[in-house]
Amino acid sequence: MKEIKREYSDIPVISFDDAPEMAPYLQPVKASYVGAPGKHGYLNLGFELDSSGKSILRELDRRTPLIVQQELYFDQELPGIPCVYILSSGGPNVDGDRYRQNISVGKDAMAFVSTGAATKLAEMKYNYSSMAQVITLDEGAYLEYLPEPIIPCRHTRFISDTRMVVHPTATVFYSEVYMGGRKYYGDGEMFEYDILSVCTHGERPDGQQLFREKFIIDPANSDLRDVGIMHGYDIFANVVVLTPVDKAREIYEKTEAFIDRKRKLAAGITHLPNGAGLLYKVLGMETGPVKETVRKFCSQVRQAVKGVPLPKEFPWR
Amino acid sequence: MKVMRLLQMTDSTFPVGTFSFSNGLETATYEGIVNDADTLMQYTRSIALQGAYSDGVAALLAYRASKAGDLAAVEEIDRQLMLFKMNDEARTMLQRMGRKMAELAERFYPDDKVIAGWHADIKDEKTPGCFPVAQGLTFAAEGLTEEELFASHQYGVINMVLGAALRCVRVSHFDTQEILFKLSEDVPRLYEKARTMRVEDMNAFVPEADIFASLHEKGNMRMFMS
Repeated sequence: MKEIKREYSDIPVISFDDAPEMAPYLQPVKASYVGAPGKHGYLNLGFELDSSGKSILRELDRRTPLIVQQELYFDQELPGIPCVYILSSGGPNVDGDRYRQNISVGKDAMAFVSTGAATKLAEMKYNYSSMAQVITLDEGAYLEYLPEPIIPCRHTRFISDTRMVVHPTATVFYSEVYMGGRKYYGDGEMFEYDILSVCTHGERPDGQQLFREKFIIDPANSDLRDVGIMHGYDIFANVVVLTPVDKAREIYEKTEAFIDRKRKLAAGITHLPNGAGLLYKVLGMETGPVKETVRKFCSQVRQAVKGVPLPKEFPWR
Repeated sequence: MKVMRLLQMTDSTFPVGTFSFSNGLETATYEGIVNDADTLMQYTRSIALQGAYSDGVAALLAYRASKAGDLAAVEEIDRQLMLFKMNDEARTMLQRMGRKMAELAERFYPDDKVIAGWHADIKDEKTPGCFPVAQGLTFAAEGLTEEELFASHQYGVINMVLGAALRCVRVSHFDTQEILFKLSEDVPRLYEKARTMRVEDMNAFVPEADIFASLHEKGNMRMFMS
């Protein structure tokens, strides 16, 4: 991942061209070029406490197609938490898109971030689409990042890098739900994308590295349906929780690992290296039960850290 | 002579304790998910694939760093591999086996400065001491090739799962040998990719195996340590 400065914008384009797994997908895009306005999304969200001690969205900077409007306070269990939905005016992520998101939560502040709808990754022909994120949490800060699922299409190529810089007293709940594809499109379109490459890594503010997870899913060149990989499942959720050791221990004890053969739903939890926190994985067949399982886990985290559960999900979500 | 050394270091009786680990197979069997030769082959192939692009890459990089006499680079690879290991049992396995192999390597090659330095730093807890790194250093010291190192590594991973299978899955020695024979055919292709990878390119995607590992860690099955 490297930064390339463009003259028309003060925000550098992030390039993943040096990642070896993207090497087959580096042709110039025939439509709008890589980094063109509208394909170069940028979002900077800064949550902080105001003078009365209320968490607010203090900083908001954005470039199309990423949109965030003002923060709302709709969480009945935690009325003080500002809630923000990230929207994308462009519809799906398309060939050559380069997005960048920074979310920071200041000392003792809290925030809830989600997306307005599932993130669709369109079919790509020449190049790839990407997302680079930096999530920063100061002392005592708390962030729930609980977006809607990501849906890749046939020949999607997507790469992301998520860097988390987290103070030892802070907690971040970061989840991603990946569908195998457009399951009910035509005769079904499962695992027909070209590549998904996802890297998540964490560090302390002083630079101490905590963990690094990278997975590359390359359906054409792997036996995804093997036992041990996706086997019979269609959806995969990955959740990283960075939290102090005592909280991690409490959440680990209260969270069940299970394989429910009737519901075709499974989940596992494990400790990240360096006492950084937890990693939770869910496999399932439909988004509903997978999202519900992830939310239940998020509720467990919120209970441990904030002493209250997650509210009931809105019926339209 | 070189062949003798290669056989010795790859053999399942090499005393690093491979027999204590099942890599999630114990849980997969208990859950009835691995229950015959076919499902066992699939599971073993998954574990071999993720081993190739993580531990296998680390072994190759450690081998090259050792050839260059660069202890700092060896320890950086060691550290990066540990950052990449997502559960306690996997970390324990890697360190136990690594430490045993480091000890043996120091006996075999007392004049090798990288091995001596690395082993001393393991004892001082300055570096984690992961098994694939130990393999890389040992093969470099012996003057074996990268291909031999990678093959030995993959053989070890496959054989660890199959060795455990003989004790917990209803399969015969003939079945496991056939699986090993078949999965060996993937190794050249895996090597071609692994040999070009950098430490930041290490990757693994075995979510179902990760869930088995979690169930094992939380449960009370204890024939194997993983």
